[in-house]
Amino acid sequence: MRASLSGITVRFGALTAVDNVSLDIEPGEIHAIVGENGAGKTTLMNVLFGLVQPEAGAISLDGKAMRWASPQDAIRHGLGMVHQHFMLQESMTVLENIVLCAEPVTRFGFIDFAAARRRLAEVAEEHRISIALDRPVGRLSVGERQVVEVLKMLYREAEVLILDEPTSVLTPLEKDRLFATLRSFRSAGKAIVLITHKLDEVMELADRVSVMRGGRLVRSGRLSETSKEEIARGIIGGELPPARQRTARTPGEEVLSVCDLQVSGRGGAIGPLSLSVRAGEIVGIAGVSGNGQAELIQAVTGLMPLLSGEIMLCGRPIGHLDVEDRRRIGMSYIPEDRQRMGLALGATVSENANAGRDDRAAYTRGPFLNRAAMARFARQLIERYRIRVGGTSAFASTMSGGNKQKLVVGRELARDTPLVIAENPTWGVDIGAIDFIHGELMRKRDEGHAVLLVSTELDEVLALSDRILVMYSGALAGEVAGAEADRERIGSMMTSRAADALPEVA
Amino acid sequence: MNGTLGREAMSWAVALAWIAAVLFILMALVGAPFGDALSAFLQNAFGGRRFSYLMATLSRAALIAGMAVSVMLSFRAGLFNIGGEGQLVAGGLVAALAALLLPGPPLFVLTASILAAMLAGAGWALLAGALHLYVGVPLLVGSLLLNYPIRYIASYLVAHPFRDVQSGMVQSHLVPQATWLPYFPGTRLDIGILFIIAASLFAIVYSRATVHGYHARMNGLSPAFARTVGLPVRKLTLQTLAMSGAIAGLVGAIAVFGIHHRYIDGMLVQPLYAWTGIIAVLLVGMIPWAVPLSGLFFAAIQTGAAGMERSAGVPKEIALVMQAVIILFVASRVSGALVASSERKAGAAEDA
Repeated sequence: MRASLSGITVRFGALTAVDNVSLDIEPGEIHAIVGENGAGKTTLMNVLFGLVQPEAGAISLDGKAMRWASPQDAIRHGLGMVHQHFMLQESMTVLENIVLCAEPVTRFGFIDFAAARRRLAEVAEEHRISIALDRPVGRLSVGERQVVEVLKMLYREAEVLILDEPTSVLTPLEKDRLFATLRSFRSAGKAIVLITHKLDEVMELADRVSVMRGGRLVRSGRLSETSKEEIARGIIGGELPPARQRTARTPGEEVLSVCDLQVSGRGGAIGPLSLSVRAGEIVGIAGVSGNGQAELIQAVTGLMPLLSGEIMLCGRPIGHLDVEDRRRIGMSYIPEDRQRMGLALGATVSENANAGRDDRAAYTRGPFLNRAAMARFARQLIERYRIRVGGTSAFASTMSGGNKQKLVVGRELARDTPLVIAENPTWGVDIGAIDFIHGELMRKRDEGHAVLLVSTELDEVLALSDRILVMYSGALAGEVAGAEADRERIGSMMTSRAADALPEVA
Repeated sequence: MNGTLGREAMSWAVALAWIAAVLFILMALVGAPFGDALSAFLQNAFGGRRFSYLMATLSRAALIAGMAVSVMLSFRAGLFNIGGEGQLVAGGLVAALAALLLPGPPLFVLTASILAAMLAGAGWALLAGALHLYVGVPLLVGSLLLNYPIRYIASYLVAHPFRDVQSGMVQSHLVPQATWLPYFPGTRLDIGILFIIAASLFAIVYSRATVHGYHARMNGLSPAFARTVGLPVRKLTLQTLAMSGAIAGLVGAIAVFGIHHRYIDGMLVQPLYAWTGIIAVLLVGMIPWAVPLSGLFFAAIQTGAAGMERSAGVPKEIALVMQAVIILFVASRVSGALVASSERKAGAAEDA
């Protein structure tokens, strides 16, 4: 099925998210849409999928003009979309999630799960996907959840499949499996749209690539007729920044030390862990997601109680203190989950920027807020971090993912604390923003701050860290100096039994 | 922008037409004259000799708006304190008992009793908060369940130790007449409404302009966010609940000193002040300045419907159904508009 968008325009208040874009999606092709965060990729696809009503423009399928009243309408006509944030019911099983809203019914009005199983078995067989249908989704890994989302689309017989940043949460192995599945869809004649900002994936997989910038379609054509450099220039609208130079620096005194820390994790206790971070160094923690990194960080930041052990920050024991006191002693924290922990999406940019500030006197008058001072501070962050947003009184929810992240990073780094904890700081963020955030973390290190970086992206850890710790199964599997880091060795430490971590996805 | 306003006005017109149509059918069914019923409704909500019915509406509106303000403070902070009724009863009971027991000049007794009532309301709310934070009883459950013990403690106290036996009713003695809240000159409306106006103003300023209100709202929007950026979540929870409970207690005291002048068993429970207050808040999506107006709306509907029964011969049950119809249509209209605006926001959030 051929899907065409013509002259689509979408506005959110003063912001033009998509500006007069026309695009054809052909069957039997993988069509990559690339661009920075906020370039309008997702919004454009949300229009095609019926989630957003365009102000102008038309959608047609196989030359027939369509108008969606809702996404259900689009699904009925053979469209399917896997969102960046999965839309699954955690307490229900895989099978229940897949048939939800499209349940096969027996003569007596009961759900015919047997029929659903038969059909899923066929589909899975055809594309060589396997997953346990009776496990609750809440117990699946992120990669497995994505398989469920893909199966859901197949079950609904989608002919046009849209995947929004599908690999940002996957391990390399899971990514390869997904790509194999997508190739199989292509040979089955389905049209596939891949929204991404990872150029390597585009080069590896796509047949056709469209580049968006600032809501406009800047180029679109066959992959064979362009090059990686050309696409990258299209995305950022200029030349790529040069590779980062690391200045040699001897670390100063210990800022954070963790000693025999134990915390309770999902699959039993995590630890005992010991590590230290000194002033002027970036310590990177590498590892596949779910190996205890999240628990370690929650224990250090005070979001989760310790079972045993001690944590020292700037020479003071902080194991028994609450989040507020720890932050005041000298800790800032860029959480992985910007939607829930990093920001209050229903509050304004200004309110988000000022939350948790230590210099209370600067934005208050007695018990009252000084709104003007709050807005001034937010405007400073917007300018310094080049955040693309309607203004200080725009809701945080109106920003794109990368701009949300820049706001979180800006707010935390502006506090200028001795210790900075960054947890997957560039998750789902575009090239320009990644470079900017990496630069800021590096600058903090050069200024003599201690930085603890936790990342599931090995490249990120390798690019930034002075020392690399590898976590596996709730313990530290080893330590490597950043200068002599070797991908293979770290890779083998973080996946020594990685097969166990990904059961049942084949 | 004009287009949206026009559409908004249009949809309100449609909602009003629906209300009129349903009411007309209901009245045709019971054979009540439409015009008479309508004028009885308006007369009894806003009219009366020397506006006496309007005064009744206002004094009822004051109590509902007070409870609405109390609930709003909790809800905005993400605290689902639905124990307003218990906090109201605690306030009313303590106000009456304090006024009966305390010696001293009337103004002192009145002031001390009102403060005691506020403390009692705050204490009852804090009890739910402590159960929530330290024992793990969810606030929604704890605050609701605490409504029952205080209601029966109050019943017992006015049925036995403090009962006005001569009156033959389950009620306390009258509080000293000198402590009664005076009426506005030339009316039958007591000055209790001034306290509620003050509480509403406090709530509006608190929500919009204070650091505490800002922090509480951040916690309401995302508790995980509030914890992550190091807001003092426990302290915020307890302080907000205390404020919320204190206002409920104040409403109880006003009901005692302004309207009933004693504690009568069930006087704060039967009229569903606390529950109406919750609906009034939800109706306007917790927008501070609209909450008192919403309280007035509910009071007018209730007194108007009661009046229809008295003067237009519309049976009470039908009057209650009409009341529900009006609330339903207005609520769907208001929350429809709120949902639409939040969907717009969510749509914008998908942009990545």
